Amino acid sequence: MFVIIRRLSVIMFCALLGGLVAGAQDDLADERILLTFIPNIQFAPFYVGIENGYFSDAGYDITLEHLHEPDVLDLVAVGQANYGIVSGEQVILARSRDRDVVYVFEWFQQYPVGIVATGHNGLGLYDIGDLRGRRVGIPGRFGASYTGLTAMLHGAGLAEGDIELVEIGFNAPEAFCLQTVDAAVVYVNNEPLQIINRSLAGQCGDIGIPDVFPASDYADLVSNGLIVSRSHLNDNPGRVALMVGALRDALRFAIDNPAAAYLASLPHVDALPRESELVAALTEAAARQGDFLYAIPGRDEVAAGREALRSRLRQQFDNETLAQMEVLLNSIELWDAEVLGYSDLASWETMRDTLARMDLLGDDLGDLNAAFTNEFVAVDDA
Amino acid sequence: MQSNPDHDNYRSAQKRKLALRRLSPLMTILFLLLLWQWLSDRELVSPILVPPPADVYAAFAAALDDGSLVKHTLVTLGEMLYGLLLGVAIGLVLGYAIAKAPLLEYILSPIIVAFQSTPIVAYAPLLIIWFGTGPTSKIVTTAVIVFFPSLVNAIVGIRSVSPRLRDLMTSLNAGPWRAFRLLELPSALPVILAGLKTSTTLAVIGAVVGEFVSAGSGLGYLVTTARYQFDTPLVIVSVLTMTAIALSLYSLVAYVEWRSLAWQRRSAA
Repeated sequence: MFVIIRRLSVIMFCALLGGLVAGAQDDLADERILLTFIPNIQFAPFYVGIENGYFSDAGYDITLEHLHEPDVLDLVAVGQANYGIVSGEQVILARSRDRDVVYVFEWFQQYPVGIVATGHNGLGLYDIGDLRGRRVGIPGRFGASYTGLTAMLHGAGLAEGDIELVEIGFNAPEAFCLQTVDAAVVYVNNEPLQIINRSLAGQCGDIGIPDVFPASDYADLVSNGLIVSRSHLNDNPGRVALMVGALRDALRFAIDNPAAAYLASLPHVDALPRESELVAALTEAAARQGDFLYAIPGRDEVAAGREALRSRLRQQFDNETLAQMEVLLNSIELWDAEVLGYSDLASWETMRDTLARMDLLGDDLGDLNAAFTNEFVAVDDA
Repeated sequence: MQSNPDHDNYRSAQKRKLALRRLSPLMTILFLLLLWQWLSDRELVSPILVPPPADVYAAFAAALDDGSLVKHTLVTLGEMLYGLLLGVAIGLVLGYAIAKAPLLEYILSPIIVAFQSTPIVAYAPLLIIWFGTGPTSKIVTTAVIVFFPSLVNAIVGIRSVSPRLRDLMTSLNAGPWRAFRLLELPSALPVILAGLKTSTTLAVIGAVVGEFVSAGSGLGYLVTTARYQFDTPLVIVSVLTMTAIALSLYSLVAYVEWRSLAWQRRSAA
């Protein structure tokens, strides 16, 4: 009899505990974050936010969805979603067309677009100024690539008419390796790596190792970041602050411990290499980095640690296995800053002037101060 | 001669029915426009998602005025027509060959079915890589998508020729060319033209899918750039232009069908 009572007590305790856990989970608010592109290692901070509990600690049960950038913006603007990630130029363009969205967290501190070219095959493309009269591939005359190119050309004293612009879709590595273009507008954290790997594998003709010219060397443009609608911001500033805080902490974690960020991304990105040797090496690296971070190292020390990790992994694994980890490490260089999430008025002005030069804005250039706020990022870090 | 009142009533009722049938598509469009305006007036949907008809008309007028709509329409139309010509020609020739030599069907069917069962958007990026970023890749994309209906209808059309009439042609010592010209082509024409009607509507999809992947002009390109500039009215103008092209080509083929099959209606009467 005593045994039965004891077993019943255990069962009831477990049921109660289960109910409490379920209740705690029920307290989380369902929330969507709309992202662009497809599930990819470049979204590692969001996967870290989910897997390591940064979002749930902030009270959110997050679902990630991938859409085209204008769709992300429109859905946030009309309140069908509260949070989205878009590029800065999309915010300015959208606001000029009555979409009242506010940029609350600058995720990419450096504009990710650049131009890949090579001077090694006799074309003599050693600088953006050398592009005059050359065939330059671009996904299309829209979006961040086109804006970045325009800003770069302007910075080098060129205009679009000085080059032959060729729309190649998102096929820059193929077009570049097949030499159908002399240079190509790319995302600097990803596509140059693909070209280099193909070149090293002998699949890229006589291109050799290409040179990469980041747009950030020519102009300070506001890049990808978190947006909310004005009405959501006004009605729920506390919730926005919690979301920004969770994203900032997840981003900092990914920057500080890329091996752990890669492991957190595995359940979300099917195409990530996940050989047991790689996972074991990253698990060990993540644990070691965790210990290292207890000493509260400076940014430079952490950055040096990332490069040391890259070197160690390169000695252990081939280019193909390591490609996505390298994309993550390259992306981190674009994310890292002393104050994460902070965006500068000057970069907004440069972006607005670039868009105006492209004839994409009307006479009313809008109030840039209403386009973004640092209210939620400066509090803890500044 | 006295007219029969019952007959007159019947005829006028038939005329009214015919007029109603002809007007019904216009009435549907009018109803949808009124519904759209009504929804916009009451702001039941956000103008960001569905702009009012007046804004769409303004975008249409502006695009017409600056010449961009005509320019992009002509590009898409060109890609469509070349692709249609290429795809239909290959489909008809191959369809005829397969209808005549069933062994060919066994040999080619895995490739043909594989191509047809895979959505064009899945391999359109490959066509861009293989055939370049210029108009050729869009023409090929269009040709691939219109090929299958032409092929299938050519096979069905040629195989549906009555064996009794074939025997008749043989007994008249008609050679293959005469048999084709006098029997097979006229017999298969209704089915082939039905396939052509399907192909013309698919041609718009082929050209625009190619332009979505990579293009510097065309209606697909106009949609993409307008979308990235948050110009939803221009997106709708581009989509409606695509619809107008598809409807016009469909009507043209339907007219050709009506004219070229007049003999069939006469013999049926």
